[in-house]
Amino acid sequence: MDISVTLFGGLRHFLPAGSSFNKCSLPLAEGERLDALLAKLSIPPQKAYIVIINDVKVSREDYADITIHSDDEVVLLPPIKGG
Amino acid sequence: MAWQKQILRVNLSTGSCNVEPLNMEWAEAFLGSRGLASKYLYEEMDPAADALSAENKVIFATGPLTGTMASTGGRYTVVTKGALTGAIACSNSGGKFGGELKNAGYDMLIIEGESDKPVYLHIEDDKVEICDASDIWGKTVWETEDLLAKKYSDPLMRFAGIGQAGETLCRYACVVNDKHRAAGRSGVGAVMGSKKLKTIAVRGTRGVRAKNPKAFYDIVNAVNARMTDREEMARDGTLAMMDVTNGFGSLPTRNNRSVRFEGANKLNPEAMHTPNANGHTNIVTNGACFGCTIGCGRICKIDPTHFSVKDRPEYHGASGGLEYETAYALGAACGVDDIDAATFAGFICNEYGMDPISMGGTIAAAMELYDIGAIDDSVTGGIKLEFGSAEALCQIAELTGKGEGFGVDIAMGSKRLCEKYGHPDLSMTVKGQEFAAYDGRSMQGMGLAYATSNRGACHLRADPYGHDFETTDTPGKAKVVAESQRDVAFIDSSGLCLFPGGCGWGMDDYIELVNGACDGSWDSQQTGERIWNLEKLFNLKAGLGKKDDTLPKRILTEPADVGTGKGLVCKLDEMLPEYYQLNGWDAEGVPTEETLQRLNLN
Repeated sequence: MDISVTLFGGLRHFLPAGSSFNKCSLPLAEGERLDALLAKLSIPPQKAYIVIINDVKVSREDYADITIHSDDEVVLLPPIKGG
Repeated sequence: MAWQKQILRVNLSTGSCNVEPLNMEWAEAFLGSRGLASKYLYEEMDPAADALSAENKVIFATGPLTGTMASTGGRYTVVTKGALTGAIACSNSGGKFGGELKNAGYDMLIIEGESDKPVYLHIEDDKVEICDASDIWGKTVWETEDLLAKKYSDPLMRFAGIGQAGETLCRYACVVNDKHRAAGRSGVGAVMGSKKLKTIAVRGTRGVRAKNPKAFYDIVNAVNARMTDREEMARDGTLAMMDVTNGFGSLPTRNNRSVRFEGANKLNPEAMHTPNANGHTNIVTNGACFGCTIGCGRICKIDPTHFSVKDRPEYHGASGGLEYETAYALGAACGVDDIDAATFAGFICNEYGMDPISMGGTIAAAMELYDIGAIDDSVTGGIKLEFGSAEALCQIAELTGKGEGFGVDIAMGSKRLCEKYGHPDLSMTVKGQEFAAYDGRSMQGMGLAYATSNRGACHLRADPYGHDFETTDTPGKAKVVAESQRDVAFIDSSGLCLFPGGCGWGMDDYIELVNGACDGSWDSQQTGERIWNLEKLFNLKAGLGKKDDTLPKRILTEPADVGTGKGLVCKLDEMLPEYYQLNGWDAEGVPTEETLQRLNLN
């Protein structure tokens, strides 16, 4: 299945070549977990970011336990501040 | 020492201009800019005085780092009693005015009294004169700067002044410098207008020195090397936050009826960088303030075929575009997803001298009043003031700037407007000041920060962002808010910008720069706490108290509709008592004698 992922701010650097402005579609096997999806994006683990799946924020300690489904909307946000 | 150690005091009632030594004992306790100017204001005026009376003073204050080689060291603060809030106002701006004032030889400019006719102030180092402004009174900020720049023929002269909004005492009139940077909040421009002071023209050639320039140079380079993510910040500016809050579900939308805006993708960095159907791209380039190595400013053009500027070539040039707060207030808050319309309304705010956050927040409240039938076309002058109407936004913005028609009501601010039309609960304000671009239900710490901000609702008086994006649970938030309020007060008092905090700088970096410039060993928490408590004391004497440390009913009782905070209201009652306790205040939010003694404020 292909999962739609949206990356905001500086995280856009980690989009695969050929992606649109801030979205990409990543192939993922049924039953794969969130940490596998993040690994495909090659974002360094120390890079701080927020993961939201279907409007629910995911705790970092749960990345290895959460299964991704084909209709999930995965959003990665940088924790920037100010404005 | 990077202070100039002198202040310029101008009395508009008597016409006197005097140079005085800076009180260095106070400088060592309150650092500069926001903190030091607040000390002068607190000592020199009755906080209970009317903000628009001659008793109020306006202080333009630089920090010790202003005008130095430190990155972002171009900030200055306008400190006064706010016309919008009746609370202490300390409105911070970048651009190039602050550095110029410091280079003219002054840490601070204190304006007192009031003139009986329009005047402007002309400063060239030690030459200071109060000049007749009858030929520029009634002009816009842009016209005024162009006329005086031509008169003095000095391309390096800088200006900070008001437009017609300040002259007509719009409650959220701001002070605009360099045409599109502004000391925006709390109505500092209205205070300037009440004194009939149109603008300040300044040129400085004296330079600013750290005690040990070589050592300071090395510190600046070392700290600059620790700055990160500059390319992203230069490309997207603060507008990068639009996608973050919209994704998270904390973007106030349609007067906080929602926390997510379906039109956010038409106002975000992608929209700003992508050509429209006419091939027009909103952003032209980025811009930097004095000494800045980030350059987060947006320099933009409106599509010349857009209805707002069609056949109006004076608006076809590039000027200050949408920052995140402007895009929220003139976009999401009003339900408007037209980037050109929001950019135009922003231009109008710069041109006439108005705070776009407060103007957008007030128009959003008016749109809700219109939506529920509390006002109709007979009140608005026929304008269909519907949420989402780009046309109405642009029309009302111009009327407000000019002080005409329904714009007179919008110029009162959201609180006074909603009270006038019988629905005070629809005003999304704290202490009379409109919300910034974060909703206090999905960002609980920001809710507490808004409620306790000494200058009214504000996103720049605390730094709860990281904790708020991590969790909506309230434990720990009082501590984050209290401690970050102190750190922010310290940074604001240094002459540096808060934004490098989003580009890799931590408090250690700021402190290293201050220590390098001021040849000392500064404690940001201690100095910041002293400043925060002094501001609090001013407000208590002005008549504000615990009743003012609160949030609108909507945020306390109506759950967020979507996003990570869906179903939540702001749990202010869980956080406020702990916050008071952490500050060493009693249950009514009054600093205890012990706290005042500890901070040398008694």
